Amino acid sequence: MPTKKVIKGNAGGIECVINNGEEVLKFIDNILGRDASKLVSRLGKVMICKGIFKEAYIISDTLTKVIKVIFSKGYIPYSAGLYIGRIRKSKPYFIPSINLLQLIYDELGLRRAIVVSDEGLKPFLYGNDILRKSVIRCYEPLSKNDVVGIVGTDGYVYGVGLCAMESCNDLRRLGDLDLVAKNVFDVGWYLRGGTETRERMFKV
Amino acid sequence: MVKYELLRDLEAYLRARVRASIDRNVKDIARRFGYLDYMIARYLNMLGSIDEVLDLLNSFEKPLNPVIRCNKLKVRDCSYMVSRLKALDYDMRSIMWEESSYIITKLGKVSLGATHEFLLGLYYLYRGPASLVPPLILNPKSKDMVLDMAAAPGGKTSHMAQLMNNEGVIIAVEVNRIRVRALRSNLERLGVKNTIILRMNAINIPKLFGEYFTKVLLDAPCSGEGLIQIDKSRKTKTTLNDLLEFRKAQIALLNAAINTAISGGYILYTTCSIAPEENELVIAEAITRRDDVEVVKMPKIDELNFSEGLTEYYGVELPNEVRLCGRLYPNKHGMEGFFLCLLRKL
Repeated sequence: MPTKKVIKGNAGGIECVINNGEEVLKFIDNILGRDASKLVSRLGKVMICKGIFKEAYIISDTLTKVIKVIFSKGYIPYSAGLYIGRIRKSKPYFIPSINLLQLIYDELGLRRAIVVSDEGLKPFLYGNDILRKSVIRCYEPLSKNDVVGIVGTDGYVYGVGLCAMESCNDLRRLGDLDLVAKNVFDVGWYLRGGTETRERMFKV
Repeated sequence: MVKYELLRDLEAYLRARVRASIDRNVKDIARRFGYLDYMIARYLNMLGSIDEVLDLLNSFEKPLNPVIRCNKLKVRDCSYMVSRLKALDYDMRSIMWEESSYIITKLGKVSLGATHEFLLGLYYLYRGPASLVPPLILNPKSKDMVLDMAAAPGGKTSHMAQLMNNEGVIIAVEVNRIRVRALRSNLERLGVKNTIILRMNAINIPKLFGEYFTKVLLDAPCSGEGLIQIDKSRKTKTTLNDLLEFRKAQIALLNAAINTAISGGYILYTTCSIAPEENELVIAEAITRRDDVEVVKMPKIDELNFSEGLTEYYGVELPNEVRLCGRLYPNKHGMEGFFLCLLRKL
């Protein structure tokens, strides 16, 4: 039986809790599979901080001990451990981070993913969407308006999209310029510093 | 000569002595190279001869090649990263004393801060090699409890995480709202997962943790007088009064660093400045006013022979152990001007 012990801290209107991560593991289970949520649960505890956004982190036992000290003095971390994604009230309920997707794809193989050509990656890294002509391979499961990993031919995760298809079979009926995935987050953000519009679009 | 600990008003003393040392020769050199007069006067006092000063000033005119550190948290074999960059027309050579880092010898088609490899976190980009040195000196291990007191933008934090195999704990502190975002962004990009970022003034860390850390890195906010190769505005940006103000803040931060280290813990004080006011005179203040800290000899890094810390400046005799601190000069070491001093809490 998992323990229900919860560690809490809050400061500046942001509340953080550390627990076994049932809330976020359920989302990972739904979109990336039971084996993925089991993999994540083995990495450590989950810290969820809720302010403007509700963000989840995996933290080791050692980090947990230090964060307890921080909480006890009325502070909270700005971030900690491995950021695994953002929880939302509406679909997509969970936007996984690039690092989480890479971890799962490396350990368990591709799923809920689109492999994109180099030519397609370039506009994607400027914040543009993925069109049919850029898609090289597709991995189930997919569902419309839910997240999909955007992967390069080198196996690296370049971003997260909002899928415009119900399954990979839909690729057959789409024209070259039809939308396959809307850009939610791409690694070009590290250069651009984030876009306010998108930040607002996916807030809790 | 006057002993540091006997000097009642160091700031007034220095202002007077520096002003008195500005002669026609100093003014001519300052005008020729575009510096404030007082800087050249200080260089002459520090280095002892006009030839040495001219050698330093000429080296500040030479551009510095960028440096990249292969991020082993994401790349198992650095030759893979190198081959990807070579395909983009880059060329590079290894840095002998930092096995995962390279000096870029030929720039490629895409800016180094915009390649797919950069965005994927396969490497961290530095303006020069000096910033690679502090993590190697502090050399944190996976069992260490590390504090990085002025962590943004995260180059040294992520380097330490790499040395720790992403285990143990690093507390990375940054007070500035914009810079803390850059810190988080870089640590995420590089896949760092053993770090807690705190947005607060590092002065307050001892109140939060008490004596807690086995290793503390204080890369103190400074004038950047060692970065003239990269930013020519620094030739005229900082007055002597500004330097003395920096020094006050640096002393306060260093005291906080010592206060939050455990007994037997190490504190590494560094700046990207060659100004004694921000370096030896900060260390001298800590070790003469406190009895719980000592300067220790820095571990040797292959092929990198630090110049010794200054023990005399404008007739002020500093404690002899300040000699154990290290200086890096562009004309002697081929990198940015830098200062390092390793202390141990007793």
